[in-house]
Amino acid sequence: MPTALITGITGQDGSYLAEHLLGLGYEVVGVTRRTSTDTGSRIEHLRERITLAGADLLDQTSLLALVQKHQPDEVYNLAAQSFVPTSWEQPVLTGEFTALGVTRLLEAVRIAKPDARFYQASSSEMFGKVQATPQNESTPFYPRSPYGISKLYGHWITVNYRESYGLYATSGILFNHESKRRGLEFVTRKISYGVARIKHGVDRELRLGNLEARRDWGFAGDYVEAMHLMLQREDPKDYVVATGETHSVRECCEAAFAAVGLNWEDHVVVDPIFYRPAEVDLLVGDAALANAELGWSPKVDFQHLVEMMVEADLALVADEMKRGILRSYAASGS
Amino acid sequence: MPDARRWRALITGITGQDGPYLAEILQTEGVEIWAASRGGRVPDELPFVQAAPAIDLRDATSLARAIAAVAPDEVYHLAAQTAVWQSWDDPVETGDITGLGTARLLEAVRREAPTARVFVAATSEIFGEPERAPQDETTPIRPASPYGAAKAYAYTLARLYRQQHGMYIAVGILFNHESPRRPPGFVTRKITRGAVAIARGEARSLELGNLDARRDWGFAGDTVRAIRAMLRTDEPGDFVVATGESHAVRDWCELAFGKLGLDYRDHVVTNPEFWRPAEPVPLVGDATRARDVLGWQPAVTFEELVAMLVEADQSASQKSEVRSQT
Repeated sequence: MPTALITGITGQDGSYLAEHLLGLGYEVVGVTRRTSTDTGSRIEHLRERITLAGADLLDQTSLLALVQKHQPDEVYNLAAQSFVPTSWEQPVLTGEFTALGVTRLLEAVRIAKPDARFYQASSSEMFGKVQATPQNESTPFYPRSPYGISKLYGHWITVNYRESYGLYATSGILFNHESKRRGLEFVTRKISYGVARIKHGVDRELRLGNLEARRDWGFAGDYVEAMHLMLQREDPKDYVVATGETHSVRECCEAAFAAVGLNWEDHVVVDPIFYRPAEVDLLVGDAALANAELGWSPKVDFQHLVEMMVEADLALVADEMKRGILRSYAASGS
Repeated sequence: MPDARRWRALITGITGQDGPYLAEILQTEGVEIWAASRGGRVPDELPFVQAAPAIDLRDATSLARAIAAVAPDEVYHLAAQTAVWQSWDDPVETGDITGLGTARLLEAVRREAPTARVFVAATSEIFGEPERAPQDETTPIRPASPYGAAKAYAYTLARLYRQQHGMYIAVGILFNHESPRRPPGFVTRKITRGAVAIARGEARSLELGNLDARRDWGFAGDTVRAIRAMLRTDEPGDFVVATGESHAVRDWCELAFGKLGLDYRDHVVTNPEFWRPAEPVPLVGDATRARDVLGWQPAVTFEELVAMLVEADQSASQKSEVRSQT
């Protein structure tokens, strides 16, 4: 039974990937960092079936010990400070985790399990001010946030380890991918959760930033399958993973409110506080290579994705109301 | 009222090759020069440079303290872990010092001296193995070493800080630049030192890697003139600093040994251990923008540069001979 090591197991992608790999018969080791708040809600249902191990991307020694102990066949580096607005406030910390954390983990693999296959979660944010549309594996990068810059460093160092140390290291350039497990600070989830609260009569309005911002949004459950496929090829290679379609925040609102029989215009308020300091251009991915070589294509379309998220949040808010634990949710951008 | 304050510069990396050359130029302009180094000291050869509180690029607090103490009008960020081959031995430290160190420095300037003009040193290594030559400010970045990746991180972040925080930040994409101050680990210095040692009968052969590897080699004294000019323009920008000429390691050998009346072919042996495949496309810079905007041009030719290093190594070995005799 092959062993997969996942950093960022408590995040959206980590939980979906763990489920997917368990279904394929993998032994899954999830890496967690100790925090004072419980971050394990997304993997609560998997606790019996996975091994949790403590390590930190900021701590080289902990990573080395981790890889030495578990001798993974596959390593998925999904952990990051992954929220763009936070990267403006804490660029150095973002660099520590999201950039240098990749090098630390690659070093641990190179030293302790050099034949392991390594997946690095790269991001469409690396394209930022886009140099060509749509973006594919050969499009030049031009990141527009400290987060995008840190991810780009992680991408380059992954390619370095492949080309210079001969590691089986790949970088998956994933465009936005959402789900009911997306953090509330991300715009799609902010919308689906906000719609559920309005539908349940908790709130009356939903405050958002730039409604015209467009993204290529896919379903996280589809994207983790691409991650796994990337590590099954003979030769490691980088792939863009995307739907190839873009939708605006406005369209997301339309679909989400329509799903509960409401009109978005009655509830959405534009608040410039949620505008990004530097908006990225039209990010839209061309996943032709992943389609041709991995046989991958997205299964869940935009409409279905939004409906899935709204449905889950309707149930969540109902449950929160029943238990009297409705949260006041955080301010955010996209 | 105190006297009108002199223009004040803070240099990181004063113990490297470029720092002293830059300090010498700034001194001729009457700039008050401060240097922040890890040991908090300034080399003896630069008595006109004042020591700022010690910094460690891994320690954000030390950077903030030094910048607050000096309150500079301009900051030249030259410090880095600069050797490509060392970056393979310790990629994490290289990323921490050269990449994140720049983030920490920019954050410190943003908080402590937001109107200061900042120069950030990038390198042709950010292009890695480029698809076309020559390379200019629009060439796609694709680093091929941990050093190149760390510098590319520093470069893209500096550009972002200029665009988003409105800071005056200039980036120099510096191609190889050499001088008698270059440490002997670099191939250029290794050749001239080796040739001098052979000419003096102290060595018989010189081991090198691929003689056909090509680079764009300029003189560090010329490079720092471009750096200084970058902080004297109205609009900060990114500038390639290069000679535009590409030469092979073999050319260095031919000129260096030739100057000493020797034929390199009699002495140079290639060691596969040092051998790196020649790049399909050479790293050679197009400094048109620096010429047009900064009025900058290199003054020292390739032949003069090789001769300069040979002479420096000759006089260094004579001095050490004198020392060992006394």
